[in-house]
Amino acid sequence: MSRPVTRPLRNLALAAAAFLVLGWAPNLFHLPLDLQFDAALAVIYAFAILSLVLLTGYVGQVSLCQATFLGIGAYTAAWLFNVFHAPYLLAMAGAVALSFLLGIVVGIPALRLRGIMLAVVTLGVALVFDRYFFADHAFDWFTGGSAGWRVDGTVIARIPMDWIGHALNVYRFGLLLLLIVAVLVVNVHDSGSGRRFRAIRDSELAAATMGVDLTRYKLLAFGLAAAIAGLGGSLFPLAAGQVSPQPFNVFYSLQFAAFAVLMGVRYVPAAAIGGFFGAFVPTLLGRWHPWHLEIRYDWFQVALGALLVAQLIAAPDGVWGDLRQRVAHLLRRRAKPKVAIA
Amino acid sequence: MGEFAAYTVLGLSLGGVFALAALGIVLIYRVTGVLNFAHGAMGMFSTFVAWGAVYRWHQPVWLAVLLALGFAAALGLFLQFAVFRPLAGRPAVVKAVVTIGILLVLQSLASLFWGNTQYHEPIRVVGGRSMLIARVPVGPDQVLIVAAALVLASGIAAFLTYTRFGIAMRAVSDDPVAAGLWGVPVWLVGAVSWALGSVLAAIAGILITPFINLDTVSLTLLILDALAAALIGGLASLPLTVAGGFLLGLAESYPSIWFKNSLGFPKLVAIAVILAVLLVRAPKGLLQAGRAST
Repeated sequence: MSRPVTRPLRNLALAAAAFLVLGWAPNLFHLPLDLQFDAALAVIYAFAILSLVLLTGYVGQVSLCQATFLGIGAYTAAWLFNVFHAPYLLAMAGAVALSFLLGIVVGIPALRLRGIMLAVVTLGVALVFDRYFFADHAFDWFTGGSAGWRVDGTVIARIPMDWIGHALNVYRFGLLLLLIVAVLVVNVHDSGSGRRFRAIRDSELAAATMGVDLTRYKLLAFGLAAAIAGLGGSLFPLAAGQVSPQPFNVFYSLQFAAFAVLMGVRYVPAAAIGGFFGAFVPTLLGRWHPWHLEIRYDWFQVALGALLVAQLIAAPDGVWGDLRQRVAHLLRRRAKPKVAIA
Repeated sequence: MGEFAAYTVLGLSLGGVFALAALGIVLIYRVTGVLNFAHGAMGMFSTFVAWGAVYRWHQPVWLAVLLALGFAAALGLFLQFAVFRPLAGRPAVVKAVVTIGILLVLQSLASLFWGNTQYHEPIRVVGGRSMLIARVPVGPDQVLIVAAALVLASGIAAFLTYTRFGIAMRAVSDDPVAAGLWGVPVWLVGAVSWALGSVLAAIAGILITPFINLDTVSLTLLILDALAAALIGGLASLPLTVAGGFLLGLAESYPSIWFKNSLGFPKLVAIAVILAVLLVRAPKGLLQAGRAST
């Protein structure tokens, strides 16, 4: 354990460095438009996975509906922007607030359920929103009907931020927000709330015995996770220019769960890796034509599912967790004082 | 009144399918401790094997169905030995997440092989015109579903009660360690339940094809309805699971009487049932290994 003062500072410094490097990295390449969009999408996905790091990795609550919260964020922001002509930052704040409230509502069943049964309920939530909210005419006032909302010409802090040639601005703006939230999530881990979260994960009974208010902290975790996903979702209309139900359907929720577990659901950096993996790999696979074969998106999902199964068998702590362990092991071996062995 | 009866028939045939799918979920969960989120996807994949045999290879339906059931059994055995055997002793949640991986693989493979949005013709296991029972038209395929659900459920119950292997399955479901110590081949028993569950899912998938818009997604998502039916049975009782399947089928079908322009809200009904069952019953009993009441 390092001293408590240095860690937040170190995290901030790491985040600042990451922002400079990752924000500058696109300048190295002449990214075509679809890869510029993928860069922004990577950040959006990373938000969804980060929400699972908090909810599943810290608090141990399984959720199969994070794409739904992403969608709530996207629709709310686009709705506030289109109908009330709200400045986009305000629309984003509204999206986060609504996602937070909805997250608390979805968290209510979690007060009595855990583990697999909670997964069943959240899967149902994802399906219901998929079918009867995002795609149903009864909610056209919120979803903009089958045409969806269009969002363009948005400017945040005098920087143009939309899908028409400014997707990299959206990427950098999203990256900034993502890193801020990531530092907060890392810091939560060692805070008082974080200890209570982890106590709930390890044993709800023990946590309650130690005086942890289960209701409050479980609902808080669901609300915060939904808010994080909602914040990511509110960036979606900027990057895509429009909102439609397809990117938020139940299979994306399942994919986010898969990304998070595959990359290491207990670790914040896994969110970034998972986001970049999920956004770039399908496009790159689609562009790569080995022996003139076209690799369709479905192959990516096949590979994702197979990797998830293999990872859970071979490296249960996820890619990042496994990597960390290996590096720590190597360092420890290196640091060992040399003992002459005859 | 005639409308009500017609929706009752529809609800019962839907319910038979839910019951069949749910039986497989319960069987696998009780014996191996895996809550199989890929159950719908497994049924879907086997159904499309039959579909491909009929419409791509132009085989007779009986052969196609036989092929699909054989495939389903092989798939179940494969999963037990290749995936769940190495995962022995891991938490139930981990195994459930693994089934999500399996779902993603099967779902996308099916859409690569057979396309996910295009129109797929239904597989008609029985032909013939619908007959009038008490002035309500009833299709022979609907009779088949209800009969299949009832016969297979009773058959499985009899198998579990009267055969040596069935008793071994119940022993494993009660306490795998003790069963192993008594010489029960725990892994083989698990493999048979996976195969049986997978075959049940395939039968459910094949029989429902005349009543739905057959595509890879809708069959995969039947998992929610099947889980709801299985939860009514407490993930343990076979008779309650079958009853739950039929009840859910009716509950999903009746709203269409009032909501003429839509197909009702089947998934909404399913999630309402799941919430009601989970929040009213003590969830402790569902998660911990209790007595098998098969």
